[in-house]
Amino acid sequence: MEGASTIARKTWELENNILTVDPPDSASDSIFHYDDAAQAKVQQEKPWASDPNYFKRVQISALALLKMVVHARSGGTIEIMGLMQGKTDGDTIIVMDAFALPVEGTETRVNAQADAYEYMVDYSQTNKLAGRLENVVGWYHSHPGYGCWLSGIDVSTQMLNQQYQEPFLAVVIDPTRTVSAGKVEIGAFRTYPEGHKISDDHVSEYQTIPLNKIEDFGVHCKQYYSLDITYFKSSLDSHLLDLLWNKYWVNTLSSSPLLGNGDYVAGQISDLAEKLEQAESQLAHSRYGGVPASSHRKKEDEPPLAKITRDSAKITVEQVHGLMSQVIKDILFNSARQSNKSSSDPSDPEPMITS
Amino acid sequence: MAPSSSSGLTFKLHPLVMLNISDHFTRVKTQLNPPPSSCAAGNGHSSGDAMIVQNPRVYGCVIGAQSGRTIEIFNSFELIFDPLTDTLDRTFLEKKQELYRKVFPNFYILGWYSTGSDADESDMHIHKALMDINESPIYVLLNPAINHAQKDLPVTIYESEFHVIDGIPQPIFVHTSYTIETVEAERISVDHVAHLKPSDGGSAATQLAAHLTGIHSAIKMLSSRIRVLYQYLLAMHKGDIPFENSLLRQVSSLLRSLPAAQSEKFHDDFLMEYNDKLLMSYLAMLTNCASNMNEMVDKFNTAYEKTSRRGGRTAFM
Repeated sequence: MEGASTIARKTWELENNILTVDPPDSASDSIFHYDDAAQAKVQQEKPWASDPNYFKRVQISALALLKMVVHARSGGTIEIMGLMQGKTDGDTIIVMDAFALPVEGTETRVNAQADAYEYMVDYSQTNKLAGRLENVVGWYHSHPGYGCWLSGIDVSTQMLNQQYQEPFLAVVIDPTRTVSAGKVEIGAFRTYPEGHKISDDHVSEYQTIPLNKIEDFGVHCKQYYSLDITYFKSSLDSHLLDLLWNKYWVNTLSSSPLLGNGDYVAGQISDLAEKLEQAESQLAHSRYGGVPASSHRKKEDEPPLAKITRDSAKITVEQVHGLMSQVIKDILFNSARQSNKSSSDPSDPEPMITS
Repeated sequence: MAPSSSSGLTFKLHPLVMLNISDHFTRVKTQLNPPPSSCAAGNGHSSGDAMIVQNPRVYGCVIGAQSGRTIEIFNSFELIFDPLTDTLDRTFLEKKQELYRKVFPNFYILGWYSTGSDADESDMHIHKALMDINESPIYVLLNPAINHAQKDLPVTIYESEFHVIDGIPQPIFVHTSYTIETVEAERISVDHVAHLKPSDGGSAATQLAAHLTGIHSAIKMLSSRIRVLYQYLLAMHKGDIPFENSLLRQVSSLLRSLPAAQSEKFHDDFLMEYNDKLLMSYLAMLTNCASNMNEMVDKFNTAYEKTSRRGGRTAFM
């Protein structure tokens, strides 16, 4: 039983180009080591000053990810923000830990970070005493429900940061989409300095943006680039997580992604409807204006209708996944059949209590 | 050494706490045993410059909330241990507590944690010191030794109870049981990191595969648990194992709680939700078709324009 599933998983991972790092052992825990001298040296050299595209990748520790996502979700529909600690390693920024800041609502206030400076200084100092030696290496905030990208205010904040606090990274998390899609929605960005022109063949991954934010997105999307994110964990972490699965499977089975996110889905659908109306009026215009309008379209630009189709497909896929879970649970637990093999109450704590 | 607790409190532990403790331990350990490439000296909790310090003890505080008889442990932070007085640094604790209070106003100190394999006598000392913050602190112990044969989480939670030993009431550590509690977002990120799923969209097929794989593994666990129960019952039936009525009662109540939800209302709601989702996929399909038609019409028009400057073709019959 165990063998077949590992083979299946390995095939799947191979097909999807997942680079499985060797299971971390104590030797590879070296990433957790903080080398003061080396970091100070890099600070002096500042290799990022010459190349705006210098940093290409981000490695986030399991702990940092968990903290950020939980913090983001706890804010509900309010944007939260916090800082990340870590170090650099060549062209990679490594995020070891994150902590929350007692500040809310960064979308309308540019100097939210100024308020939190005192907290940040206090926290960093106490942390250094307790053995966490890394410096602040970036900030994160959440965009509940509207995707991972930098708004105008975010871009200006980050440009300021990149002037005075290099190396600095901006991370955005969307907790609502995370829960709805069942996978973590996170993006890491760095801005270009003023006047830098992004190369035209730079392809960024498409994501749905609600109508009221789409202008903000469009104006600034050329001013920053996104970095690849990978995750790492220590050997003890993996060991714990493996064992955790023995208790966790109950939560996986009993989770109901459909129930928690009703508001969000309704919002998505109404947003889609508005976009449809907009697209319809656009098409109506072009019909009277003659067909040549379409021939001026660049190859990469998708007609708005195609975008809408993609959005609707995405929403539907998520919903169908949720529905699948529901149906499976129903079959498992609601049909009392003759051969009562499947007979365990999902909420029964019996397998989980250790004594 | 630790009998079971009888306080009747239920403990819920969040995975974040475990990862916190594990991260703290890994950090201190790697700082003390620098990798061969660098030659930085570590900072020391314990002595030993040249020898490999196997398992340094780290200390910290756990915070959370208590409602009624349920104690939920949400988060934790590190503390400094003062080896001279054998206690935790008090001013530091208060400072950190203040900082955390600003961000998490609902949480307060529930106890402390440490790494090691068993609770020590010296731990009681620290435990007593915390009793003025929380009248009944808890002690979370994580065993950092990686033992692959182990099936259980190496985390134990101890409470202190006063037992009469040698005529004097003394506090000793007693085991308590705990459950793992989680919110949806936490579960997803733990899942994500544990199985290193692809974080980008991937194709619809990969997403589907990922989703179904998760459910499949969960069901596999369920099935293996049930199999164990089944074997147990079989053995009991055959007489290999002595009868144990309490267990039998639990199993029978388990079976009797099936089917889990069978009321009219549930059925109606379930079908309604089912229909909603099917309706959504229908709409999405319609949108897709409309978009494809639109594109086709556009292309048709471009190809068969009569008045185009670029010499359009005449539509031939």
